[in-house]
Amino acid sequence: MTPRELAVLALVAGGAFFAFVAAVGLLRLPDVYTRTHGASKSDTLGAGLALAAVAVTFGFDLSSVKAALLVLFMFITNPTAAHAITRAAADQGIEPWTTDEEGEE
Amino acid sequence: MAADDLLVPVDDSVTLRKTVAYVAERAADADGRPTLHFVYPVSERVDTGDEGSEAASAADLLERVEVWVEEDLGDDDSVAVETAVVGQTEYLFNPGDYADVLVEYARRNGVETVVVDPEYNPLGMAPLLPPLERELESAGLTVELAPVERPTRRGPLTRTAGVGQFVVLFCSTYAFYLLVSGTLSPFDLATGAVTATVVSAILWRIATRGEVELGKLGGRLARFALYVPYLLWEIVKANIDIARVVLHPDLPIDPQLVEFDAAVWSELPATTLANSITLTPGTLTVDVTQRHFTVHSLTPGAREDLLAGGLERAVRFVFYGRRAMRLATPAERGARTDDADAADEAGENE
Repeated sequence: MTPRELAVLALVAGGAFFAFVAAVGLLRLPDVYTRTHGASKSDTLGAGLALAAVAVTFGFDLSSVKAALLVLFMFITNPTAAHAITRAAADQGIEPWTTDEEGEE
Repeated sequence: MAADDLLVPVDDSVTLRKTVAYVAERAADADGRPTLHFVYPVSERVDTGDEGSEAASAADLLERVEVWVEEDLGDDDSVAVETAVVGQTEYLFNPGDYADVLVEYARRNGVETVVVDPEYNPLGMAPLLPPLERELESAGLTVELAPVERPTRRGPLTRTAGVGQFVVLFCSTYAFYLLVSGTLSPFDLATGAVTATVVSAILWRIATRGEVELGKLGGRLARFALYVPYLLWEIVKANIDIARVVLHPDLPIDPQLVEFDAAVWSELPATTLANSITLTPGTLTVDVTQRHFTVHSLTPGAREDLLAGGLERAVRFVFYGRRAMRLATPAERGARTDDADAADEAGENE
């Protein structure tokens, strides 16, 4: 395998890993706020790494530039969407889950 | 003291007349002889000797309000009217200050209900009402919004813009079009020019704001280029941390809301900071009003990082240059998490 293939492999594996973490987080975390954490960020990095893999595959090419632009826009829109979701939740008066509710403290 | 007494903060707003009519009618319908208290909180100090112009206009306005009430009630003598100018001895800056003087007045006069004009906004730009209502309610007063019709108002979407804004928007749109199309063929050059013209013609007053200073813009872009790798590194580091937490069998999370005032002063830096906070895992911006950030944090570590202010400092670096980096961190400025408070308390108990 060439170094480039190795790099692509590593990036795709990393992307898949963080996408997986995002999915697990969505299932395991307790409330809308914490779930948004999982869904919005691990996913951003996961998709970002996958797109980086695309860019590396194409090398210095227009497609790489487009992939980079996609990453850029995702890094702008993803947090904005997460912000919109949680703000809507906060406006609805949904209380964030805390460890206190389990009566541990 | 009748329970029907009403406290009405007044200011020269478009719906004030209707609000006065509403409270007058309501007081007339009530049993007993309720008192209407019209209060004008003055934002500037007027104890400096010269009667400030604001105090004079306040007196004018209160007089007008009294006349209106008389008009509305006619011969009905079952309502007493009191007017007062309050807050002369201090500067009123924020909703909390306004709430304080109103609450003090209400306590002194035994009033339990505050009726606010929906357009009441003496602070001008910043929205005052929601926080004011919250403050008043937390002081134990009942707050009602006068149900008056008001003209719908939206902030001006368009702003004054000059040729500079148009050119900047046109060039960036055109460049983006050509970049994505990937060729410099006559067809793309032509369609790109048309598209960029249409886009800038429609959006030039919306998409850009303020003076375009190319030198400043260049400096910002250069510093932004430095900021991006830093942000990426932070994202990766924090993502690994979150992956550990999420995949950990015990799910060691301790979510909490943190509120702090960020030391950034305009829309774009605040937006950048909010998005950066959201991108760095473990912290999620829930709401931003002016400079006040409400951030949901997943772990104590994420909270510490947030209040240590690394991101905030980096954003200041991008927008205000190197000198601004030396400002105090949120933690040093007194932003606290419950963790820290709890630790302090534990320390004091020892």
